[in-house]
Amino acid sequence: MPNLTGGREQMGPQAMCRRTLLAVVMGAGLTFGAQAALVPELGPLPPIQYDKAKAELGKRLFFDKRLSGDAGIACATCHDPKQGWTQNQPLSDGYPGNGHFRNAPTLINVAYKKVWNHDGRIGTSLDDMVREMITEDYIMNMDMRIMQERLKQDPLYLEMFRDAGYGEPSNGGVRQAIPEFLKSLTSRNAPFDTGKMSTAARKGLQLFKGKAGCIQCHNGPLASDGKAHNTGVPENFGIFLNPENHQAFIAFALFQGIENYMNLKRDPGYYNVTLDQADMGKFITPSLRELKYTAPYMHNGMLATLEEVVAFYNAGGGKESRKSPLLKPLGLSEDEQRNLVAFLLALSGDPLTTAEHIWQQPFPAEYSAIENWKDVRN
Amino acid sequence: MLSAPDDCCYGVDDHTTGSTAQTIKGGMRTPPPLAPLGPPPIPADNPQSPAKIEWGRYLFFDPRLGGDASTGCSTCHEPDQGWSWAEDISRGYPGTVHWRSNQTIINAAYYSKLFWAGSSTSLEAQARAASKGGVAGNGETDIMEARLALIPRYVALSREAFGTEWPLLRDAYRAIAAFERTLVQRDTPLDRYLLGDETALSEEQIRGKQLFEGKAGCIQCHNGPLASDENYYNIGVPGVKRWESDGLAQITFRFELYAKGVPEELYRTLKDDPGAYFRSRNRWDMGKFRTPSLRYTLYTAPYMHSGQFDTLEEVVDFYNAGGVAADGRTTSFPETKSPLIRPLGLTGQEREDLVAFIEAFSGEEILIEKPELPPYAPLFTRAQLQAAQEAK
Ligand code: HEC
Ligand code: HEC
Ligand code: HEC
Ligand code: HEC
Repeated sequence: MPNLTGGREQMGPQAMCRRTLLAVVMGAGLTFGAQAALVPELGPLPPIQYDKAKAELGKRLFFDKRLSGDAGIACATCHDPKQGWTQNQPLSDGYPGNGHFRNAPTLINVAYKKVWNHDGRIGTSLDDMVREMITEDYIMNMDMRIMQERLKQDPLYLEMFRDAGYGEPSNGGVRQAIPEFLKSLTSRNAPFDTGKMSTAARKGLQLFKGKAGCIQCHNGPLASDGKAHNTGVPENFGIFLNPENHQAFIAFALFQGIENYMNLKRDPGYYNVTLDQADMGKFITPSLRELKYTAPYMHNGMLATLEEVVAFYNAGGGKESRKSPLLKPLGLSEDEQRNLVAFLLALSGDPLTTAEHIWQQPFPAEYSAIENWKDVRN
Repeated sequence: MLSAPDDCCYGVDDHTTGSTAQTIKGGMRTPPPLAPLGPPPIPADNPQSPAKIEWGRYLFFDPRLGGDASTGCSTCHEPDQGWSWAEDISRGYPGTVHWRSNQTIINAAYYSKLFWAGSSTSLEAQARAASKGGVAGNGETDIMEARLALIPRYVALSREAFGTEWPLLRDAYRAIAAFERTLVQRDTPLDRYLLGDETALSEEQIRGKQLFEGKAGCIQCHNGPLASDENYYNIGVPGVKRWESDGLAQITFRFELYAKGVPEELYRTLKDDPGAYFRSRNRWDMGKFRTPSLRYTLYTAPYMHSGQFDTLEEVVDFYNAGGVAADGRTTSFPETKSPLIRPLGLTGQEREDLVAFIEAFSGEEILIEKPELPPYAPLFTRAQLQAAQEAK
């Protein structure tokens, strides 16, 4: 029986075990070493097809604060186009009343990924990823049944859902339309793709593939192997010293069923997916595209600049007993480090900050009433 | 579980699921008399204790027990507004409005079923529903429990009251319930009168009492110490007028139908709150609501589940007209309306006397000082974090 005021659990989205979603996709990470030659080439991203009407609807939804419980924030609050579709701060905002414990990833190229979140805990579909964002209590804290009724109250949505082929506004339609919009967020004109790289960047590319060994993990069109590694990034103490961030972390760890969560002083990362101690502190290799816009870096924003990131790798990564054996001090000269940074920047294209990707019409300040309410069907 | 509508002695009104009405013999109801209010029942599995009540008092006023830390119990149950909310329908969680009139906390401890339609069976369960419901607190268990752990005062109080290392949300609800069990009023003019103080009621009120127990027939439902038989009736109250013109309220109306899982056709066609139907799924429970106590009503306007009457005078006029509002509006479910509700033919003086008597169900206004809420504090020191970092 639904409870009186409508708890969210009837829908089951959050109760659904995330751990099972991934196991399928994650598999055993193939380690580098002997297979070095086999890594997929860095290369252009394949074109991606999407439905224009659905994406247009997804775009409006993405910018609409009414998709959050108290109508205070939108997807775009934490994935802000003007800040590289992330937030240029170490830790993401949380739903009002909460902080967060991770850096918001950029959403550019997110549709190419196979696993999502820094720990890779979603490995099924962007549809599930969107549901998680909307319902998670420290993200948008939305009871999707209320969301659905809000959308039905907006005449423009009635039209847009119909035009997109979804019929009446529904949760399912939202979970399909937003991913369709996300497919439109792809890199454009990155010097690496157009072949217009500077000399420094070209030198950097050689280091990337050679002496610096970055390619071992950052490979394929996204410059990511989609696998989890421990690079020893230091913890962000802000998570644990600020109760609003810490509460989100505790809620997360509690929900994920991580033992001793009240005493945990580190982000467990991929451990959360496998519950294998060996995976403690591993995170999914991020894409290196669009870094120009997405500082600060790493799952917890601990590195402020690309120079710092390169210096971090040059020192062999962080201090951590479980650190990947692939990371060793690199002995890069200052020049080499600069060239590496130049190459990383060459993986960034034009900013996606025009009306093509941003919903610019204002949202209605209030919900208009349905006329002849008593006489029409709900 | 339930008898069919026509094989009972007392017409449609006695068929509600979970009805606590006594068996009625020979077709005549001899309602229990009005009586002084005794102490509230305390459940054996949640005895009162000072630490528990103290924690519950804080929690009742603490908006951190809700989704965005803005909307706690007292946000809607405002002590200055009769521990209720003085609008037709209650305010909601930010971004929403509720769909029913708010109810007072005062004397809620005596009901065996809570809410207008009796959907909750204890104050403990009710608090849970309130803090989690999408148009009320909209909180999730994990985040609310995490917040409690970061408030040192609550860690100490919950440890003292319940003996757990960290506060559990379940215990927070028990603490709130314990606090609510202190919010009772047992010294109204009526209580004093019934205990033998004949000066406690005015002459007008004494005449009103006679009408209440006689010609006006109120006692048939508003009886016993609580002035409620805790049964469910459709007395003809019209739905929320605002639904016709307020988009936000229309959203919540549909959400409630959807969330409570009514059949699709009803979701599409209902234009009024079916009340007790939600629990029983029997069509003869459409539009029925729990008889509320008349205690403390001096402070809890507007009245009825839909908050459609602003004054007790309007309520009495409504009953006098046989369950029809002054503007002619009435229930959308006329087929389930109680046969006990019919035009009363009360004179102007009689109506005034009756209103005066209803006022005798309320004593002084209960106002308490809102507690200063204890702050969050970090759980770890920088040195501890540093040590953990080194140990990686
Ligand atoms: C309150 C801030 C916030 C809001 C609002 C928010 N996100 Fe996120 N989003 C994050 C954070 C933080 C993460 C990373 C979470 C993690 O790793 O545990 C994330 C992760 C993601 C990812 C996975 C990215 C990747 O590369 O793995 C997608 C996709 C995403 N969000 C889409 C959305 C959409 C669509 C919405 C709106 C429905 C939304 N987000 C709303 C903060 C937010
Ligand atoms: C062992 C695999 C591995 C190797 C080798 C590696 N990386 Fe990484 N890289 C990762 C992982 C995993 C992360 C995410 C770590 C985290 O979030 O804590 C990451 C993060 C980054 C980031 C931050 C991206 C962002 O959006 O926050 C940059 C930039 C980066 N790496 C560049 C490099 C460069 C340059 C090299 C070579 C010098 C390199 N990486 C070598 C696995 C690797
Ligand atoms: C957003 C406003 C709101 C918030 C927040 C709220 N309530 Fe309520 N409360 C209501 C409304 C409206 C009703 C009547 C609802 C119904 O019958 O469907 C109600 C009913 C009740 C009742 C039933 C009284 C009776 O006579 O049956 C109790 C007890 C109660 N609330 C306690 C609480 C507690 C404890 C909290 C905090 C955990 C709380 N409420 C939070 C609006 C609110
Ligand atoms: C058939 C049973 C019945 C009888 C007889 C009856 N009532 Fe009620 N009363 C109820 C019910 C049920 C409600 C709540 C109805 C609703 O909200 O739809 C109610 C509500 C009220 C309220 C509003 C309380 C509040 O908190 O909003 C008052 C005041 C009241 N009745 C007074 C009276 C008076 C005075 C009489 C006699 C003239 C009377 N009642 C006769 C059942 C009855």
